[in-house]
Amino acid sequence: MDKKQREFKVLLVDDEDVFREATARQLSVRGFIVLTADSGEAAVETVKNDPPEVVVLDQQMPGMHGSDTFIAIKKIDPLIEVIMLTGNTSVDNAIELMQMGTFDYLMKPINIDELLYKIEDAYTRKKLNEKQQQEAGQ
Amino acid sequence: MRVWDTSHLLDDIPAHKQASAGHIYAPADSQANLQRIRFHFKQLQTRLILGLVLGFLLPNALLSAYFHFQFTHTLKESAKLSLAAVAESQKNTIDLYLQERVVNLYNLFHSKDFSLNPTQEQMETLLASLKHFHDGFIDVGFFDPRGVQIACAGPFHSLLGMDYSHEPWYHTLLEDSKNYLISDIYLGFRKVPHFTIAIKQVFDNQTYVMRASLDPDKFYIFLRAISQGKEVESTLINHQGIYQVVDPGRSQFLNRSDYIPPPISPAGVEEFERDNQKMLVAYASIKETPWVLLTMQPVSVAQAGMINTRLVLTTSLVIISLLISAIIYFTIRRLVDRARRMAEKGQQLQEMLTHASKLASIGELAAGVAHEINNPLAIIMATSGVIRDMLNPEFELDHSPEAICKELSVIDTAADRAKGITRKLQDMGKSRVPSVVECDVNALLDEVVGRLKKVEFKPKHIEIAGDLAPGLPRIFAEPEPLRQVFANILINACDAIADRGTIGITTEAKEDMILVTITDSGKGIPPENLQLIFNPFFTTKGGGRSTGLGLSIAASIVKYLGGIIRVNSIPGTGSSFTILLPINEQAQKTIKQPEK
Repeated sequence: MDKKQREFKVLLVDDEDVFREATARQLSVRGFIVLTADSGEAAVETVKNDPPEVVVLDQQMPGMHGSDTFIAIKKIDPLIEVIMLTGNTSVDNAIELMQMGTFDYLMKPINIDELLYKIEDAYTRKKLNEKQQQEAGQ
Repeated sequence: MRVWDTSHLLDDIPAHKQASAGHIYAPADSQANLQRIRFHFKQLQTRLILGLVLGFLLPNALLSAYFHFQFTHTLKESAKLSLAAVAESQKNTIDLYLQERVVNLYNLFHSKDFSLNPTQEQMETLLASLKHFHDGFIDVGFFDPRGVQIACAGPFHSLLGMDYSHEPWYHTLLEDSKNYLISDIYLGFRKVPHFTIAIKQVFDNQTYVMRASLDPDKFYIFLRAISQGKEVESTLINHQGIYQVVDPGRSQFLNRSDYIPPPISPAGVEEFERDNQKMLVAYASIKETPWVLLTMQPVSVAQAGMINTRLVLTTSLVIISLLISAIIYFTIRRLVDRARRMAEKGQQLQEMLTHASKLASIGELAAGVAHEINNPLAIIMATSGVIRDMLNPEFELDHSPEAICKELSVIDTAADRAKGITRKLQDMGKSRVPSVVECDVNALLDEVVGRLKKVEFKPKHIEIAGDLAPGLPRIFAEPEPLRQVFANILINACDAIADRGTIGITTEAKEDMILVTITDSGKGIPPENLQLIFNPFFTTKGGGRSTGLGLSIAASIVKYLGGIIRVNSIPGTGSSFTILLPINEQAQKTIKQPEK
């Protein structure tokens, strides 16, 4: 646990209000700039208007499903890293998520430290990718 | 518009079986099924074998009986014809034989040794000449017109000079238009059985008679010689039925015959019984004498060929029938056995499939439970993390008891939610002790709608349009589960309506069912979800507002009551749920009791 200022934006998407708010609070105190969305549609809007570095996305949501939301986000900005939250424990589901190109996945209920490390790793990779892209562009 | 019948879905995850998952695969049921299959195939085998064997044997037996009758009749006739032919042939031979003897005697009148007053020496010569033709001649005599034997040769010299004018044969010869006569066997003056051939000849208007007697034994030997056929026995009788020529072993001359032919018929064949033996007899009248030839043969001998053939045919038929029956039996047994084994294998596969699908259902259910429980758990963990953060001085957060209590109440709410899920699951699995009473479906619906108006319908502008059929037959059911069914469907209808809309409730009795239709003007159900809505934990309501168990529980209860639920939905227009409940008390009674 640390209180260092990470100062990058994390978008937390989950239809469970209480969970979303509690997790957002935990991430906030750990120095993240936390954005929240209660649906896939809202998440896509947020990515368009205020793009985050990392998205933590619940897979099972009514309306726009987690997977569809992921695809929509990647269309807007392919460099954004997405960590999926899933209640489904099957290996098939995990493989499916990884094949889609998510950074990683976490199973509910989550451990906040584990989420923290994954977000940081995702952020590191995003930065690395951006750098590579810049170098390639030059 | 799509209509989805839930009845098959309910089979997949029967609520009352979920609690007893350990007993789903029941070997006793499997054994009973196998026993049933075996019994069924045993019955099939017996029916097939009996049907085929009877189907083959019955026409075969009828046909055989017909041919047997025809065959027996033909062969009996054939045996008769055969014996009649033998008799006819013998009769002709005898006629020829007698004609020859008559000619032998007649020729004597033209012999060089003949004179109207013959000497003994001439008579001896004549006798020798007769015997030269046939050794059956015993003696020869010559009679003058008065009927006195004036000359004779042979062993009976004492008959010389005897007057025969009063002898029947002599009298008949003179009276008859024919020039010759063959007499019956008689004893005559010599007191020895013999028969006479006599010829009359007229010289100078005077009738002279030449007579020779024949030895019946020699005639019998002749008769034996011309006999043909196995155990064929020939005799000669006169019209009075007196033996003329007979086997000495059978009877004696001049005795009466066992069989006398019909008086008018000149020839024929008949059956008669002699010494407890059935005999076939062919009779034929001899042309030259008033005698009848009897040719006899035991029926068993005459029909021996037929009996043998019949025996061979019958035996063959029985053997062929047995062989075909055996082939039918073994073929059917093999085929039915193979079919039975396939059915058993099919049954086992079916059971394995059912078992596998039940396991899959349990897996799906477990996954659903895990997912639904994980959500409140995730809240609990996240909130407890918040509390931990509050208590961490590093974060400098408000950690007043009030603030912590607030977070703890969030944890309580999440725990209650998890408890609610487990309780509903328990309700699904709980065995229901039936407390069946007469229920008024209309009254139950009124009650439920009244209750929901206060809570569920209040925040929205929902109009309830009831069209409840008056005098609806009462059904036998448990009221509480029925209330739950109506409530769950009505809550869903309410949830489907965004802000303003109508919920229609109609009831009607149709045949032996009561139809309850609940329609809403809500958003409808997408076609791809229609087949999922009765699955446990399936929900489209986010934010933890629904457990996804409502319709699953409703379907399980309706199934338990012997009814079904049908869904009819047009996305954007609304949905219609029709609950069909049986009225019949008997139907209710036959509802399978839930496993405990």
